[in-house]
Amino acid sequence: MRRRPLLGAIALAAAVTLTAAACGSDSDGGSSADGKKTITIGFQGVLSGDNQQLGLNALYGVRTAIAEVNADTSSPFQLKLVESDDGGSPDQGPTAAQKLIDDSKVVAVVGPMFSGATKASEPAYTQAGLLSVSPSATNPALTTLGFKTFYRVIAPDTVQGKAAADYVATVLQAKKVYSLDDKSEYGTGLSGALEPELKAKGVDVTHDGINPTKDYTSEATKIIAAAPDVLYYSGYYAELALLSKALKDKHFLGKIASGDGSLDPQYVAQAGAAAAEGTYLTCPCGDANTDPKAASFVASFKKVNKGAKPGTYSGEAYDATLALADVFKKLGTDVSRESVAGAFGSVNFQGITKTVAFEPSGEVKGSNVFVYQVKNGAIAVLGNTADLIKS
Amino acid sequence: MSAPPAGQPGPGGQPGPGGAATVPLRTSGNPPGSVDASGSAGSSGSAGGPARPGWHPAVLFTPARLRQLGVLLLVGVLAAIVTGPTGNSDKPLQAAKDSIADVRIVLYLGLAVALWVVLVLGAELRGALERVSAPVRAPIGAAYGRRGGPIVLNLVLLAIAIVAPLVVSTAAQQSMVNDIGIYALLALGLNVVVGYAGLLDLGYIAFFAIGAYTTAYFTSQTAMPWHAPFVLNPFFVFPIALVLAALAGVILGAPTLRLRGDYLAIVTLGFGEIIHLVANNADNITNGARGAFGVPHLSIDLLGIDYKWGIDPLPYYYLLVVIVVGVMIAFGRLERSRIGRSWAAIREDEIAAEATGVATLRMKLLAFAIGASVSGFAGVLFASKQFFNPQSFSLQASFFVVAVVIFGGMGSRLGVVVGAVVLQGLAFYLRDKVPPADRYIYFGAVIVIMMIFRPQGLVPSRRRRREIQLAEEGIGAADSLGVAPTGGQQ
Amino acid sequence: MGFLDQFWQLTIDGLMVGSLYAVIALGYTLVYGVLQLINFAHSEVFMLGSFGGLFAARGLLPDDGSVPGGLASVGLVAVGLGVGAICGGLAAFTLERVAYRPLRRRSAPRLAYLISAIGASLFAVNLAGKEFGRQNVDLPDLFHNGTVFSFFGADVSTQSLVIFAVAVAMLIGLDRLVAGTRLGQGIRAVAQDADTAVLMGVNVERIIIVTFVIGGLLAGAGGFLYAMTFNASYSMGFVPGVKAFTAAVLGGIGNVRGAMLGGLLLGLVESYGGYLFQASYKDVIAFLVLVAILMIRPSGLLGERLGRAA
Repeated sequence: MRRRPLLGAIALAAAVTLTAAACGSDSDGGSSADGKKTITIGFQGVLSGDNQQLGLNALYGVRTAIAEVNADTSSPFQLKLVESDDGGSPDQGPTAAQKLIDDSKVVAVVGPMFSGATKASEPAYTQAGLLSVSPSATNPALTTLGFKTFYRVIAPDTVQGKAAADYVATVLQAKKVYSLDDKSEYGTGLSGALEPELKAKGVDVTHDGINPTKDYTSEATKIIAAAPDVLYYSGYYAELALLSKALKDKHFLGKIASGDGSLDPQYVAQAGAAAAEGTYLTCPCGDANTDPKAASFVASFKKVNKGAKPGTYSGEAYDATLALADVFKKLGTDVSRESVAGAFGSVNFQGITKTVAFEPSGEVKGSNVFVYQVKNGAIAVLGNTADLIKS
Repeated sequence: MSAPPAGQPGPGGQPGPGGAATVPLRTSGNPPGSVDASGSAGSSGSAGGPARPGWHPAVLFTPARLRQLGVLLLVGVLAAIVTGPTGNSDKPLQAAKDSIADVRIVLYLGLAVALWVVLVLGAELRGALERVSAPVRAPIGAAYGRRGGPIVLNLVLLAIAIVAPLVVSTAAQQSMVNDIGIYALLALGLNVVVGYAGLLDLGYIAFFAIGAYTTAYFTSQTAMPWHAPFVLNPFFVFPIALVLAALAGVILGAPTLRLRGDYLAIVTLGFGEIIHLVANNADNITNGARGAFGVPHLSIDLLGIDYKWGIDPLPYYYLLVVIVVGVMIAFGRLERSRIGRSWAAIREDEIAAEATGVATLRMKLLAFAIGASVSGFAGVLFASKQFFNPQSFSLQASFFVVAVVIFGGMGSRLGVVVGAVVLQGLAFYLRDKVPPADRYIYFGAVIVIMMIFRPQGLVPSRRRRREIQLAEEGIGAADSLGVAPTGGQQ
Repeated sequence: MGFLDQFWQLTIDGLMVGSLYAVIALGYTLVYGVLQLINFAHSEVFMLGSFGGLFAARGLLPDDGSVPGGLASVGLVAVGLGVGAICGGLAAFTLERVAYRPLRRRSAPRLAYLISAIGASLFAVNLAGKEFGRQNVDLPDLFHNGTVFSFFGADVSTQSLVIFAVAVAMLIGLDRLVAGTRLGQGIRAVAQDADTAVLMGVNVERIIIVTFVIGGLLAGAGGFLYAMTFNASYSMGFVPGVKAFTAAVLGGIGNVRGAMLGGLLLGLVESYGGYLFQASYKDVIAFLVLVAILMIRPSGLLGERLGRAA
């Protein structure tokens, strides 16, 4: 039998390292010193893999809300967070959801984040009667699939698609629109909602899809050859940034527009101010970074998360968590999975992205879609689409 | 991980005659328990030469020992960085600096030095340990792969598989179905292609996708825009998916199996990517990125047995255990049959096999088809268990199945199942132990370490163990897929 | 907006990206030629080189956000290329030492290297994500990116010209190195027959590590060129890695000129294919072309031997 002198040693080292890491992560969930009761909520989201930045955006939003509640001396309880990573994929969704369900202390969950993981996870949440509030799953069908404990604080694609189409056709007066999506569930959902609305207004629509990549050079050539008035990109900010760069290099003359997935200061940082300048961004949300009302949120977000700035879905996750805290307050001593799931439907909470109140289906009520534009290297709000179209 | 002893000319770790010739050289140049990562010096050290005590200064401060200390210290620094704070691109080196400036670095460096001391002093100790553990390890190590021998061992393992889910959380049960069970089945199928026939398939997950989408097509009117005019129970889809996946395997294999080694690898990789992209793009057929929602759970209503599978993972787990055991038994027979021997012949030396009358192309096609059909089978199970979308069929998933097969021990049925249990179990274990974003740092490190110290896999097949042994002794190459890479032998 | 109107523009786009694929593909092909193994972690060498070059160049940029010009631009690009190459070379060296060499010393089966590389790749990607953050990182313009000249109505920008020129210079340099120097002779000798090369006094271990480092230097410099255009991120390596590997096989793996040809061809196929069909099918088209070519020429366009063809 062959000997492996280093094997045991390395295994030992690995074990020690893991243990050390585990201890490190265990120690930050302390119990409250002042005798308040502790309520535990879960977070399920995409914390590993290529999209983990979106997951971190939301997680940081949740942490900010929890830190604010816990710092508030008038709050009758302390909040504690359990995180569960689903990698944004349906494969890992059920396991991630089950982890939170197994933890009997968890009375409500913020998440899941991606529509795919949501579809895979919700049957388990429904069966367990555990409330889940998604900050980011926008697939319109989600509220029609019989998930009894599913709510979302973000409007479905159909709402944004319609408003964006109105704005592009009426205010930007586009005759020809190039609709490009990233072939993700989010992107195809948004472009699928946008395109029929545009066509109904007599706009000439060219559709194309391109999987997230870094190289948009030849796609830019293709767009410029089509000479649209407006390019509407349905996808996330990292890819829009690269696309904007490629378009600027090739002197694109039309306007660039995109949706809530791109409403992130990182868009400007990654594209460079020059390439991002003038881009329109629609979002069924108030933007935390530009809204003066939300300045305190931005400040506490940075404080809690070591200087990180709020990004896509941070505000929604923050609102979802505070709406939960609001429900806990109203329920008083009777906070259980059952009572929370029962009471959450009638919540009415003024959040920073919108007023959190729900239709019976779990859909957030009457969302306004706002339009933003990159001006002088910063994202500035132009206003509500309904108002902008009237004027 | 250590360099060859200084002054040693030529190919340090070359297998073949060169490698064998260097062993005595090393023994005379180095004290017992030399840190050679290949371990060969250790074994020869105990055999030859008067052993000096491990703490003798001349032993302690040989260049090899010092180099080993250096390596361990570097590993310590790396461990500190891995477990340290997270950085950002504005200050790219800040996080690493913080990790090293932190007091924990003392702990890690201390550990590294302690490890070194243990290693230096451990030579004799290790000998004793091996003597103690040998009676335990030998039967387990030797048992598997012997014909009909290890029935007791197998029954014990089966009993563990049956009892295990009862003592873990429901989340772990979920993982045992989605991650371990399904991947064990996939790995068993890929093992036929890679382990038996020696063909590298990097697009294996495509057949899994075919199985899953076939299920959605036949069992639901709503899951995909494109569906059958009738609805079938998922159980009836098993044979259909089996045949379709096998057919896809033949269609892919027929034109491409003439290609050698790595050309086949890239073509299969391309095939996997094509299936993945088409599934993601064809909105009007597969529902694209939105995925297929609403495939019914498995249900059985036959001969008075009426049972429905549901959200609870446990019934799926036991179904998977039955299927995995069945596939293992079936493949065991196959492996020892004429077909299995043909595959082995192709793997060892395709030209010689052809010359001795093995219909190589047909046999390779058969391996492809059988492997693909198992994958399609697994696809049906996955689709009926839960929602899926094209993300489940990415290139990374294909790589992962290959990793499971090699990690477990290719060619060994028990090996690949153990590979799935250990790798996916590790991923599940890490889920709660480390920050999720860092999970794959540890995961990657474990894979590399494992491959360094046990390249033949956890439970290598008997045949492969012998091949590697022969290769190490310099008689022949490890095998056709495993022509030890030293260049230019074909 | 016909295809023919855009043909030259698409050709220029394709050649720019293709030349980057070619530079990365060389790393695969060199290692394959010498060791007959697919170095799947090469994409992370590329990623690390890219970060190195980006951080170095960004550190030297003026704080006021102005775009440098003239000699300053040339200097910045040179520094970025140099640091990128050094980082790539170091990464490749470390990779060989940690993930390959110990396996070679145990005469591991060849697939074990593949898995070891996948493990190393997972480790490197996620560690880079941890250290550098998970956001894409932009490199501000190092020079004014105007149109240098027009070509049948297609604009050639400074950027694409720089990328293409540097990439081609590196390709030619490597080709000369392999074909014309004593080191190249050693590489070819090992590629042709390692056992005999040993008998002829070639230090195989040294050749192997040198081969890895050369591949790393090229990938690192290529990484910087890539980051200059497409930003850098921790997960940036995988896709270009697979593409470059495809390019290497397309041209005939183990063949230096084949990798160049394969890279350029793949870039062109993607560029044309993305225009003619929905862009998300461009990888499908690229792979179909690959399969078609391998059907006709089972060892790639130029055949596979490093020893013979270079």
